[in-house]
Amino acid sequence: MTQRGRTSTSVRRGAQHRGQAAEPTTAQQPPPMSQMPDASMDLLNQISRQPVDPDYALAAARGTDSSGGRWTLGLLAIIIGALFAVAALQTTRAAPALQSERSELISRVQTAEREQDQLRGRVTTLTQEIATLRAAALGDDDAARVVESRIDALDPVVGNVAVDGPGVLIVVDDSPSAAADARDRVLDIDLQVLANGLWEADAEAVAINGHRLSGLTAIRSAGDAITVDYRSLTRPYRVEAIGNPRTLQARFVESSAGAWWNDLAQNRRMRYEISDVKQLDLAADPGIVLRRAGRATS
Amino acid sequence: MIPLIGLIAGIVLGIVLEPSIPQVLQPYLPIAIVAAMDALFGAFRAYLEGIFTDRIFVVSFISNVLIAAAIVYVGDQIGVGSQLATGVVVVLGIRIFTNAAAIRRALFHA
Repeated sequence: MTQRGRTSTSVRRGAQHRGQAAEPTTAQQPPPMSQMPDASMDLLNQISRQPVDPDYALAAARGTDSSGGRWTLGLLAIIIGALFAVAALQTTRAAPALQSERSELISRVQTAEREQDQLRGRVTTLTQEIATLRAAALGDDDAARVVESRIDALDPVVGNVAVDGPGVLIVVDDSPSAAADARDRVLDIDLQVLANGLWEADAEAVAINGHRLSGLTAIRSAGDAITVDYRSLTRPYRVEAIGNPRTLQARFVESSAGAWWNDLAQNRRMRYEISDVKQLDLAADPGIVLRRAGRATS
Repeated sequence: MIPLIGLIAGIVLGIVLEPSIPQVLQPYLPIAIVAAMDALFGAFRAYLEGIFTDRIFVVSFISNVLIAAAIVYVGDQIGVGSQLATGVVVVLGIRIFTNAAAIRRALFHA
């Protein structure tokens, strides 16, 4: 404490030396404790009040001889310079390394996606093979024909086979002000409502951005994107539905989903365009797998 | 004059020789540099005020660097390394700014 007191007096003396226009940071006398606006600010005050090592003033007052330190000082300067150079070099070296790490991750993701596509394609081929084998196994009697007709009726509905036919195309997108207000963005629940409304309007097959929906398809948001079958979508969202061309659109608009989307389009200014299409081609849902199989008991 | 020549020589040496810092010490290099800058600015200000002493500078520099690195090291061991590093940078940063302002006033009288 005595050391600190001595330093502040010496600095103050220096300030008086230079007249009244001395810098406030050093010339200011430490305010008495009673005037302190906030005692907890004392640390910061002290840092700015006493930025120079007080030992300098102490040594100067003592008049220490410093002839021996010249070479130490030079050596230290070299060390400091080397420190700067090494740190700067390392930082600039690390930047391309980080970049290459990042691009490697991206390429790994892309490889995995390609692999996934391949596997999905394989699933489709194998599903077709299963259908052929099934037809061969069922044989050609009356009971088999009943089973086959049931399969033919159910396959398109569950999304197991590719279908085509007339239907509606609904294009939805975030409103132009989505960047400012997150509520103006299309959410996973909006697409869920849309898909359910189409099922409700007797759509036979529904696909979002080319991803066929089945009863097991999940429409969820992951991060900033909406995922269908765990694959993220890019805007705008194109929802295609195959169904009776005369009733599908009208029934959808009248359903609660139609009201929901009308509300979004009017109050949130989201894009919502619905149109009839003469011919739609929807691929099979590759996510459908055989879950249960048994030997026919005939 | 010696310090300035030494500083430039050090930078050149560092770039030419590229000494590799051990992996263990690498996280403490930036903090050590901030502490070194603090010691440098403090020394320059003391020099302008006419109270500079080599011995004090050497001691204050080494202790500054070691203490700053030690604080961060201890913080790393107990899981608050980045917070303590921020604290060290804030405190040393305030001192650097204060000293730099005083140096500017002393040099340019502005």
